[in-house]
Amino acid sequence: MKAILIDDEISNLENLRALLEKHCPQVNILATAQNVADAVNAIEKHLPDLIFLDIQMGEQTGFDVLNLLPKRNFEVIFVTAYDQYGIQAVKFAALDYLLKPVDIDELKTAVSKVDRKLAAQSQNSQLDFLLQQLKRPEAATSKIALPMQSEIRYIALSEIIRCEADNTYTFFFLANNERFLVSKSLKEYADLLKPNGFLRTHQSHLVNPKFVKSWLKEDGGILLLTSGEKIPISKPNKEMVKQALQQL
Amino acid sequence: MKKIIFTLLAFVISFATVSAQKGIDFNHIYAAGGKLQMFIDSAAKNVHYSMVHPNLPNTFFNYMPDVNNISIRINFRKNIKVSNFRYTILVDEKPVLVNQPINEKKLEDTHADGDEEVFSSTSLGTFPVKGKVITVLVYSLEKPQDIDKSVFYGKSVPKAEIKGFSKLFKIEKGFDYSWVKEPKERTNFTFSNNDLELTLIKDRSDIDYVYTTTIRSKQTDEIVFESTTWQYGGAVEEHHFLPFLNIDKNIFKKSGDYEIIIQPYSKWKISAKDREASTVRHTLSITLEEENYTKRELLLFGVATPFTLCLVLLLVTYLIKRKNKKKLVEQEKQTNIAKLQLNSIRSQLNPHFLFNALSGIQNLMNKNEIDNANKYLSKFARLTRNVLDDKELISLAQEKALLDDYLQMEQLRFGFNYEINAVENLDLDNIEIPSMLLQPFVENAVKHGTSQKAVDGQIIISFNKQANDLVLTVSDNGNGFDTNIKYNGLGLQLSDGRIALLNSIYKENRFILEKQSSSKGTYISLTLTDWL
Repeated sequence: MKAILIDDEISNLENLRALLEKHCPQVNILATAQNVADAVNAIEKHLPDLIFLDIQMGEQTGFDVLNLLPKRNFEVIFVTAYDQYGIQAVKFAALDYLLKPVDIDELKTAVSKVDRKLAAQSQNSQLDFLLQQLKRPEAATSKIALPMQSEIRYIALSEIIRCEADNTYTFFFLANNERFLVSKSLKEYADLLKPNGFLRTHQSHLVNPKFVKSWLKEDGGILLLTSGEKIPISKPNKEMVKQALQQL
Repeated sequence: MKKIIFTLLAFVISFATVSAQKGIDFNHIYAAGGKLQMFIDSAAKNVHYSMVHPNLPNTFFNYMPDVNNISIRINFRKNIKVSNFRYTILVDEKPVLVNQPINEKKLEDTHADGDEEVFSSTSLGTFPVKGKVITVLVYSLEKPQDIDKSVFYGKSVPKAEIKGFSKLFKIEKGFDYSWVKEPKERTNFTFSNNDLELTLIKDRSDIDYVYTTTIRSKQTDEIVFESTTWQYGGAVEEHHFLPFLNIDKNIFKKSGDYEIIIQPYSKWKISAKDREASTVRHTLSITLEEENYTKRELLLFGVATPFTLCLVLLLVTYLIKRKNKKKLVEQEKQTNIAKLQLNSIRSQLNPHFLFNALSGIQNLMNKNEIDNANKYLSKFARLTRNVLDDKELISLAQEKALLDDYLQMEQLRFGFNYEINAVENLDLDNIEIPSMLLQPFVENAVKHGTSQKAVDGQIIISFNKQANDLVLTVSDNGNGFDTNIKYNGLGLQLSDGRIALLNSIYKENRFILEKQSSSKGTYISLTLTDWL
């Protein structure tokens, strides 16, 4: 697969190149770029399958590179050091990212995922979704990308009634009675959706407060949802859930 | 026997006649009930005649405690067949004349005390009445049940005597009574919901009907009960029914003292002194388990009081709310402070470890172990990131990974063995615990436990489940430490503080820390109650 590495620091580029050459030989590095303009030129010139994109690049960001490209027919693996900016949006778009210093195992996993995606030749709509998300003010996310077996679904948060853990998988229950399984743990979605008001009522349950009808006192606390479902509240979460519902 | 009686009667009559002859004028004439008239000396006072009692239509009571003699006459309308009539006279309940026909020969026409009509009239005799009771019964053979009874009462009415009270109450199946016999001046009663009525039992007399019973509230001076009627059929004394009254519990609207007054019929116009002499008074001290209220009280309690209460309540609620809000804000502040403190404690990864770890990686680089250097660098980065991320909660899986990272890095330095075990039925991915919870104990196990023992050192970390509790343990086979001494090691000291803070944040759960240490090793368990 053809790849371009984009990072403003030369040492990071060299580091990533060394790791890829050693551990991911299927990756053919066509070019590297250290600023937004060079990156855009290199992409337009080489039409890569994959770019490794640093998020924070001096005054600019990796997202600027994406915005400047009219066509984005490639996969992206974001690489970031310690940078909360944009990571949330990347997660909402269900895109891959690596943290520096790059862990070899994580790198291998990310590259093999791209391999599969390229084989499936699916349209990369996640980047469009990401760039749209980034135009919104912080935390005003209204949709989330959920990777299914063969597609990416973009679901409005207002449509999600609740999520339930099934080991490392998560069930999503939607307002239109749809229900599907996503191959990420509830913990990850909880971390992602908590800033949007979702409540982790229990180790296995994440609830959209908009669908909470009432708090039942039975069994030490249960939330009755407008869908008629009863969701348990575990003791460690009681105080938090109570406070959150009071503020609604 | 009959002879004696007749002789006695003859004596009485003759005595009366003698008395009449001794200047008694019998000038005052009163109707004495039915067909009878009585003639009394004009000097006589305190005469009450022909008194009818509510439930005895044919009994006429003539009360004359101060009269010495009376003469009794009977008057018949002209159309009445006198020969059908019989009369009986009793003196103090003893019959002196029984079923006597009227002596028609002695009948004479009179105007019966000035009436226009002319009656056939005769005297039934003249009797000394002072201190006595004379009863005359008159009836016709045609209607022998229609007996006109006139009582001439020549003494004061005796005081009634209260023989007892009984209280009727509901029991599980039916009813039961409780008794108070021969009460003194005051009787206490407590009425509960199950109590129905009170029964007052009077002594038996031949003139029960003259006694009126009233009950007066001593608080309000209101008459709450009045009865002129006695009932028979309940209590029995020497084969006679005793008169009784049923008093509904509900007449006692409030707890307090009530006075039972039994006195001669209230319509008698006798002097207060005479009346009091014949009156018995008894005090009932009533306690109601549930108070009743009058309309005015209800209005007061029902409208004014709730209104006032509402106002007070509103005010109090407002004040409490304000106070609670203040308290809540204060509490939130406290929790926030606790959280901040927790954060600052969490952020303190031992610098000693940090730099030693870095030097370990440097060593790998210098030995050209590039892959190992990469591996440990990633681990180091993950640990550092976790500290910097400052997340309140992490999953057990993450905690396990971080401890694994940490122990691998320490292993690189000291070369001990370690295990991290989790019981199978723990959902590691979704159960969250406060981050960096075990780190200090693991650090301690490495530092004080096994660092001297090198490859023989052993650290076992386990995540267990006990009912709803999550139990995390760290054990090592190091040299141990004295659990009683406040240990100077930063890690453990911080942990004690952290656990106190966690307990103040998670009010529904308890964090229980147990430390056991001996020369053979240290065992630490941290129980998070009701966590699962």
